[in-house]
Amino acid sequence: MLKVALVGCGKIADDHASAIQRIKGCEIVGVCDREPLMARQFYQRFPVKRYFSDLRELLTEDRPDVVHITTPPQSHFEIATVCLESGCHVYVEKPFTVYASEAQRLISLADQKGLKLTAGHDDQFRHVARRMRSLVQAGYLGGPPIHMESYYCYPIGRSGYAGALLGDPKHWIRTLPGRLLQNIISHGVARIAEFLVSDSPQVVALGFVSPLLKSLGETEIIDELRVIICEEERTTAYFTFSSQMRPALHQFRIYGAKNGLMLDQDEEVLVKLPGRRLVSYAEKFIPPVASAGQYLGNVAKNMRTFLARDFHMKAGMKFLIDLFYRSIVEGSPVPIPYREILLTARIMDLIFAQLAAKEPWTETSRSRPVDTIAN
Amino acid sequence: MNQTAGNDSIIGPDHLILVTGASGFIGSRLVAHLIERGFRNIRCFARSSPALGRLEALCGSPRNIVKIEVMRGNLLSRDDCTAASASAAVIYHLAAGRGEKSIPDAFLNSVVTTRNLMEASLRHHCLRRFVNVSSFTVYTNTQKRKGRLLDETCPVEQHPEERGDAYSFAKAKQEEIVIEYGRRCGLPYVIVRPGYVYGPGNEGITGRVGVSTFGIFLHLGGSNKIPFTFVDNCAEAIALAGLKHGIDGEIFNVVDDDLPSSRQFLRQYKKNVRDFPSIYVPHAASYALCYFWERYYNWSQGQLPPAFNRRVWHASWKKTRYSNEKVKSRLGWAPKVPMAEGLRRHFKACRDKGYNA
Repeated sequence: MLKVALVGCGKIADDHASAIQRIKGCEIVGVCDREPLMARQFYQRFPVKRYFSDLRELLTEDRPDVVHITTPPQSHFEIATVCLESGCHVYVEKPFTVYASEAQRLISLADQKGLKLTAGHDDQFRHVARRMRSLVQAGYLGGPPIHMESYYCYPIGRSGYAGALLGDPKHWIRTLPGRLLQNIISHGVARIAEFLVSDSPQVVALGFVSPLLKSLGETEIIDELRVIICEEERTTAYFTFSSQMRPALHQFRIYGAKNGLMLDQDEEVLVKLPGRRLVSYAEKFIPPVASAGQYLGNVAKNMRTFLARDFHMKAGMKFLIDLFYRSIVEGSPVPIPYREILLTARIMDLIFAQLAAKEPWTETSRSRPVDTIAN
Repeated sequence: MNQTAGNDSIIGPDHLILVTGASGFIGSRLVAHLIERGFRNIRCFARSSPALGRLEALCGSPRNIVKIEVMRGNLLSRDDCTAASASAAVIYHLAAGRGEKSIPDAFLNSVVTTRNLMEASLRHHCLRRFVNVSSFTVYTNTQKRKGRLLDETCPVEQHPEERGDAYSFAKAKQEEIVIEYGRRCGLPYVIVRPGYVYGPGNEGITGRVGVSTFGIFLHLGGSNKIPFTFVDNCAEAIALAGLKHGIDGEIFNVVDDDLPSSRQFLRQYKKNVRDFPSIYVPHAASYALCYFWERYYNWSQGQLPPAFNRRVWHASWKKTRYSNEKVKSRLGWAPKVPMAEGLRRHFKACRDKGYNA
């Protein structure tokens, strides 16, 4: 029986516990939050053996095999280091770390200790994402990707999250280099990173505060972001984050030399985009019918998955955790290659560095070459 | 004017009163009410900035010879709690986290904040009353009582986690910790449990009437009485709970008189605000829906959200009568805004806000 512990008892920890409960061969032996009341409320709601407010106490007394870190990102590196030093495998929620250099150090430490790590990029393990990956691996694109488009939006209105964030000048989100973006965009960036082969793509980022947030007096939380990523003049990608555009998309499109694919996470739909064109008016009638058939096929797949009780909102997280645990128990490869975790972190570093420097969008910097990732 | 300050009150007009959640729907009315009662030293604590304008307007009002201090902060910060509660003789604690659908968020912003505030206020040694504003949602209402009457003697939910509702969980746990601090640390607390607070500023339709879960409005309340309390009436009851002698450790339910049934309210809403299609779901059918949803939720290990279950049904849609005897007799409260007038103002606010679009 794999002994699991959770550190951090906030909102996302509930999703982790629910997913872990649905996985055989594991049990949550302990949870920890430096706020004892938060640890206790979690303990009262889930089948957990003990709760702690001190991490080292949890590690010493419960000796977990795996620790899930579900705290705010600023603490990920430090907590993961302590857990690895204590001999635990570690699942770190997204964003993996605040800086890519920290991610590199964690991976080195894990390798040195013979332990495993994974990042909470669970959206990449949703049913629809796995179907897309299978098609790409089967060569549906007709070669390496030529272009990708990743939309990862987060709708913000005048109340709710915006109210809490904007009304609190000390909110922990504000202390991240990428602020709001850093806490959200890693899912969308990781989708692109998965299909890049280079460690040093070029990144050009433009970000600004939306008119809505400006009207609420906000000046520092960037909630509109557009990014161009280019890999050795071979593969390009656009990344879009928006708090204001509707629909607030979570989509990924990938195009190869022969065909393309479109993944819609919200609708849990995967659509093939055939590259072959029909002649004349046939193009106007046959492909729309074929597309309608594809959508119906997606509905049928979703229904089957729902009836099989495997269509939870966080189905991807359960799958990722299950794969990670199996990689520990059976010695199989980690579900997310470390290269991909690092590349995601590096792209994010570059985006935030450009936003902080307000480059390359100022007049003076327009003629300068775009930044590249320094290894 | 000056109905309470200095008379039948545990504090005088110049004692400092702290109101948390002061910029909110009820909080802003409470502050205005305290000023009307002649209290001249009020500290308004709130997190979000846009709504604070209303309070700041009160500060600048020439007719008020009162000191209103507007303090922005976060009750998750112990330093902010210490600053906010310094010298406060009475604390009205209205700030709470609804948490949307997240139990940890609601808990953090209701229970942890309350603990921080209580600890900070106890350290100052000048607190005379801590009024915790709770909700009817804490009642389990599963018992079969004679006449189906719900009052302060009714049991609260012992397993709020099983209801699956973030707000209910947080409110039940908040009350637990307030009572614990009362017992353990001598906190002089009073708990106020309003029913559904309505009026300009809260234009939605309470879930006790029905829900729009399936794209059409399911009318679940039927002939049930809805425990409405108009916001100004509620604010007055809360104010009195912080001022009256001899009520430490007491709990007060607040509902108005002449409660309309769910059906009456819905009919009036459609007539005065906007018409929309709705389907009446009889009690037996709504109970069956909750029962089967709960079974499916457990069988599928949470594939659907826990929106319906039997605990929710008992708390929200079971036929129940409500009593306001205790709040009337012990606090001398009476709803000054009659139900008909309250509903008229409420519907007008709904129209003004574009709910009839």
